Order: sequence, then C-alpha cells, then structure tokens
Amino acid sequence: MTSESPASASVTAIPQPAPEEDLSLQIRFQREDESPTLQVRLKSEGGRLLLLLPPESETSNVPHTWNDVWQQLKQRLNAGDRFWQPDTAVHLIARDRLLDGRQLQDIAEALATSQLVLKRVYTSRRQTAVAAATAGFSVEQHSPIGHLSQPSENGQAMAEPLYLETTVRSGMEIRHPGTMIVLGDVNPGSTLIADGDIVVWGSLRGVAHAGASGNTRCLIMALRLEPTQLRIGDFVARAPEKPPSQYEPEVAYVTSEGIRITKSTDFSKLRLLSPQS
Amino acid sequence: MSRIIVVTSGKGGVGKTTTTANLGMALARRGKRVAVVDADFGLRNLDLLLGLENRIVYTAVEVLAGECRLDQALVRDKRQPNLALLPAAQNRTKDAVTPLQMKKLVAALEKAFDFILIDSPAGIEMGFQTAIAPAKEALIVTTPEIAAVRDADRVIGLLEANDIKKKYLIVNRLKPAMVQDDLMMSVKDVQEILAIPLIGVVPDDEKVIVSTNKGEPMVLAEKPSLAGMALDNIARRLEGEKVPFLDLTVPHDDFFTRLRKLFRGSSGKS
Repeated sequence: MTSESPASASVTAIPQPAPEEDLSLQIRFQREDESPTLQVRLKSEGGRLLLLLPPESETSNVPHTWNDVWQQLKQRLNAGDRFWQPDTAVHLIARDRLLDGRQLQDIAEALATSQLVLKRVYTSRRQTAVAAATAGFSVEQHSPIGHLSQPSENGQAMAEPLYLETTVRSGMEIRHPGTMIVLGDVNPGSTLIADGDIVVWGSLRGVAHAGASGNTRCLIMALRLEPTQLRIGDFVARAPEKPPSQYEPEVAYVTSEGIRITKSTDFSKLRLLSPQS
Repeated sequence: MSRIIVVTSGKGGVGKTTTTANLGMALARRGKRVAVVDADFGLRNLDLLLGLENRIVYTAVEVLAGECRLDQALVRDKRQPNLALLPAAQNRTKDAVTPLQMKKLVAALEKAFDFILIDSPAGIEMGFQTAIAPAKEALIVTTPEIAAVRDADRVIGLLEANDIKKKYLIVNRLKPAMVQDDLMMSVKDVQEILAIPLIGVVPDDEKVIVSTNKGEPMVLAEKPSLAGMALDNIARRLEGEKVPFLDLTVPHDDFFTRLRKLFRGSSGKS
C-alpha cells in the first residue's frame, strides 16, 4: 500500500537528485548481501535465552571473524542489559562455528558480566563440542542440517523485534531479520539493516535500511530524522541538502515516487485516510 | 588502587600526547605519583614533549625481553620527582608489544604509582588494542572537527566493547571566536554526537607549539596560558574536584568586532 492519497500534499519530498548528479540513487538499489540474519542474536525461548552465533563464513558472503562476533556479542549485551533477569540460563547455538576453550570462556565471562549463565552449548562441530565439554559446559552435538533451533532461514516469518538501548556509534552495523527499535542516537558512520521497520527513539544520523529483504511497506521512524541515507526495500534516498529549520518526529515511507518523509502527527492521519480514498 | 587511564582519540594529531604530558605533569605537581606510559611504539613522542629524550636508556621492549628491570627503564622527570616516564621503543613497530604484555607492564607499575596514564597511538589497530588493554578509564581527546568527532565516536564504541565504562571527553583546540561566528562545531555539538561526560575544553593556543619544542609542559609555566589552565583543571577534575569550566567566550565584543560581524552578515554570505 503506497500513499497516493490527497494527503500527500503534507508530505515533505526528498529532492530527487538529477541523473547526472548521482546515478546510483536513481537506479533501484541492489542489496550487496543476501540476508541480514547473519549476526549474533539473543532470543528468549521458554524462559531461557538462546545465543545464536552467525555460521562460519562458507554460507555467507561476509566472513565473521572471532573478533567481529565478539564485538557484536558485547554490543548486544550492553544494549539489552536492562532486560535480562539475573541468573537466566543461556544456551549457546554455535552451529558450525569453531570455538576453542578460550573463546567459550570469553563468551561465558561476557554473559556473566550481564548476570547471565552459560549452561549448554549446541554445536555441529566435534572440536567445539570437545572444547565445550572440557570447559565444563553441557554439550549437545547435532548434524549440521535440520536442527530445530536453527532459525527458519528459508521461512518468511520475521524474527521478534530487536530492542536496543544504546548509542549506535560510527563503524557499527546492526542487522536484524525483523523490526528494530533503538532507544538512543544512531550516529553518522553507522548502519542499521532490518527486515522490518526501524524505529529510533533519538536522532537518526547514520544509514538506515528498513525492509531489507524487499518489503517496501516498511517504515523508518525517528524522533529526529537527519540521516546520511535512507533505504526502504530497494529504494534509496538521501537527506535534503538543506536541513530543516526545526526537527520533529518524522516517518519515512515508500510511495510510487520513491521515499517520502512526513511528520509523525500527519502520518497517522494519512494512513487512516488513505484506504478510503 | 591506582587509576589506569588511557588517552586516546582515533584520529591522529588532535593532541593525545600533549594532553598526556600535561596531565601527567599537573597530577604530579599535585602530589600524586604518576607514570606516563608511551604506547606509541615506533613513533614515540611523549619523551620529547616532556624533554626527557636524552635520558632514555632502556625502553618497555627491553623490560619485556628481560634485558633490564622495570625501574631501570623508568625515566624520572628532571623537574618533578613524582613523575616517571616508561618510554616506548623507537626502533620497533606497533606489534612489538602484545596486549597481554602491556597488561603485565602496567600491573607491575600499579604498586608504585597512583596514576598511570597511557598515551595511545592513533588508529584502531593492534597498537590501539594494546594501549587500551590494561586501562580502566579513558580520556577521549577530540578537536571540534567532523572527522575527529567521527573517529572519536568509533573509538568510544570500541572502548565500550572492551568494557571500559568510565570515559571522559576532552575537546581540544577550540577556537571560541570561530564558534561564536558559527564557523566551528561548538562543544555542545560535539557532545550531542559523542554523548559521554565532558571533563575539559582546551582552547587553541600557539603556546602549545613553543612548549612542545622546548619540552616544557604548559602546566609548568609561571604565568599559565589559558590552555595550560584548562589542562590543569582537567587534572583537578580527574581527582574528583569540582572545578567550574573556564569562560572561553570572546572577552570583548567591542565596537570593531561588532562592526565586522555586521559587515560579514550583510555582504559576506553572497
């Protein structure tokens, strides 16, 4: 549903660049990698927390080194600190990732600083299983394919929203196969990529990509929208050259003419009115 | 318990080493036992700024290699016995010392010093990782420029990932007149992006160049400059003292500056 409603008068258009100015913004945007799911994820399931590590590089175009995984984990733990109950059990889903005893210890310690307890390790690699058993965790080894804890990578169901309470700083890239909510600022030099909507309760100054798997009905919302670039589905827009004199909560969405931004107060009306028109 | 503080910035040339040298000296003058550790292996400068280059016999690398004792490598300051420098090796590269070795070195220093200030190299590679490894606190130095602030932001993110929770911001080389004319980012602009507590604002000052060349930290000057005072205040705030921020607004909005502004406002923007 795009909004070609009469209310589009209230919409602030992002000036479309002239073709000679920047071609890449005129053509439809091609996603550079396949799926935004491939990051460290924390997911609650039946009273415990599942810690899912991205699989080893063969299945993804972006290889995740241990250092990347480690920083993502710290980031997610810091950003969710307020929501974990003390002493919650964590099950580590390591998939085909090779982990040595030292790395498993590091993970356990990182979890412990957030008062979480690493209880069980699921892995499809023998070496990881041995390392985990030696380090004193209970281990479950399974064959690489068809494990129920593996997120449905071919299914279309979106993951539950990711809620982060943090400042997303330059150099960080946060990917999530669902809707993303950031309580804090998103600074220039950072990137948010979500399969669902992106809601920023703060200033959005970096790059935001909603509907990354192609859903152009997704939205980007921020209290203060001054992004480097906005992407929804395969549409791209950049912020106006001239910043507005006054910022207020805004919503970005896709219309037949591309990405539009409107005040949040007008947006809800626009949504309610458009089905009738 | 000694306080282990890394001075870092991401971007080069924003004043990390100058800040380290002056804060080290200011804290030592206030009666604290201070060790300044040069972690910029291969491009060491801290000894120059303190005027101690010709006293270096051994460096951190020799200590780690077991060729000398730690106290043999430490260079006592010639003016201030409370201050000691652990020099970096000049003939090695950044990989000469690992994060683990750095932790060991600093742990050995902890017994004898109240403050350990680590001067980090620019960048976010191995040398930076080594410098921050032992630190419990961080001073982030930035200038009011977009590139410096962007890099500082990146560095703050990395410090967070390394569990360094206490972080303080120093805005260096501020030109109040340019801020007033809206030609430079203000401290508030910088803070809005970086969102960490501010511990000091140091105005741009030509005296820094003189003091650097002489190897005399500015805080030692008999008639301290504004920059020297600002640095001294940061040292006091580090100790927990509440010191009001210096008033850096341009003192006299006299007839001529007003006239100039008027002139610029009417015709300058065309």
